[in-house]
Amino acid sequence: MNLHRIMTGIMMVLKMIFRRRIVIIALLIIPIVFLTIVELTAPVRIIPFRLASLDNMIFINKSLKDIAFVFFSVTSSGFLSSLLALSLIQIEIEVNRRLVICGYNPFEILLSNLLALSILIFAIALYVGILVSRFLIISHFIPFIAGLILIGFVYGCYGLATGSLIRGKLEGIFFIVMLANIDAGWLQNPMYYAEAHNNIIIRYLPAYFPSQSAIITAFTDYSAAPARFYGFLYGTGFLILALLIYYNKMRIRK
Amino acid sequence: MVLKVENISKKFGKNKVLREVSFEMNHNSLYGIVGENGSGKTTLLKIIVGEWKPDGGSVSMNGRFGYCPQQTLLFSQLTVDEHFSYFAAAYRIDRVTLAGRSNALMDFFNFRKFRNEKVCELSGGTMQKLNLSLALLPQPDLLVLDEPYNGFDWDTYQHFWEYTGNLKKEGCSILVVAHLITEKERFDKVFNLEQGSLT
Repeated sequence: MNLHRIMTGIMMVLKMIFRRRIVIIALLIIPIVFLTIVELTAPVRIIPFRLASLDNMIFINKSLKDIAFVFFSVTSSGFLSSLLALSLIQIEIEVNRRLVICGYNPFEILLSNLLALSILIFAIALYVGILVSRFLIISHFIPFIAGLILIGFVYGCYGLATGSLIRGKLEGIFFIVMLANIDAGWLQNPMYYAEAHNNIIIRYLPAYFPSQSAIITAFTDYSAAPARFYGFLYGTGFLILALLIYYNKMRIRK
Repeated sequence: MVLKVENISKKFGKNKVLREVSFEMNHNSLYGIVGENGSGKTTLLKIIVGEWKPDGGSVSMNGRFGYCPQQTLLFSQLTVDEHFSYFAAAYRIDRVTLAGRSNALMDFFNFRKFRNEKVCELSGGTMQKLNLSLALLPQPDLLVLDEPYNGFDWDTYQHFWEYTGNLKKEGCSILVVAHLITEKERFDKVFNLEQGSLT
């Protein structure tokens, strides 16, 4: 591992991303679209909502609209991070392979992508957090941002693993959209989750702990540390999977 | 000896692409490998540079090597200068050395004026010059070129031979793989890859 190579890689990856205007437009527009839809469509009815990841049966009373704002901020952060990760790992993979032939270690390239992705996940979380705080009062802003970073990390690593495993762009996007839609976009939705029959299944999906972390910190004074810990473990699992697949794919056989 | 290829075999499914291919290259040599489309030239090259694993046999190489792939494998959103910096990191070339070598290559192949242009804005010929220059950047002991002059105009083609001639004088060995080699007198040896074997 060589620090200069990793730093060069990060700089180049960031340059490549920021020169794609469509990516920047999507990053700026998608959260606005998600939150505007919530503002225009979500009802303001108050419902009792159980914080499922806490040990005790703790319910809070919140308006559906407030819950939807938090939930959609989590969804948009996860979705965008995952798409970015997929795009980073898949785009110009053959050129990255040439870099490996010329002397780069596959881990150095993956690490460069991961660190560049981390910067973007942080920026996305901060942007979405600031946007959503225009619509409702967040109880603990920084821990809430940590929850958005966590969903970015979990889904970003899922995107890296998917991009390492699947060569086709369209197939990769399909896998991202499918999981993001079913997990982050539907099953973790508190309005659905509260009524679900087998919510034990939902607890094992990747967006569960980050969603819980964001909701706990947005509305209560309870600690979200356990949710953050398990979410981090989940993301690390995806990351290890991505590292193994990518290394196997890119290594030079001498 | 700079390159030793011993009994390389490779098959895809039931199709045997390479059958116990062997050859050696010494310093100051220019070898060519020709063959029809689909004869296994690129497969052999990818095995030599380590991109693919052979089913049998071995490749040993001494010294630095530069590899110019058939396709222009470049980052579309990075500039010419940024490509030199990125590949210099791969080759472990320091900044001062990089500046000297990249300027010399851009001057020689006459594309310095595009140094701040993104690759997606370059012509096919300029991309090919950059593709080749990145292989030349480490001043290799062995230069492996896959269809190097595809997309070159006449002037660049002449410059290419002038440059490889100079490299050879300095001790570099060059392996050119192409579907057509017209000036065989330039080469020390030209192999024909036919039905997976070198003749």
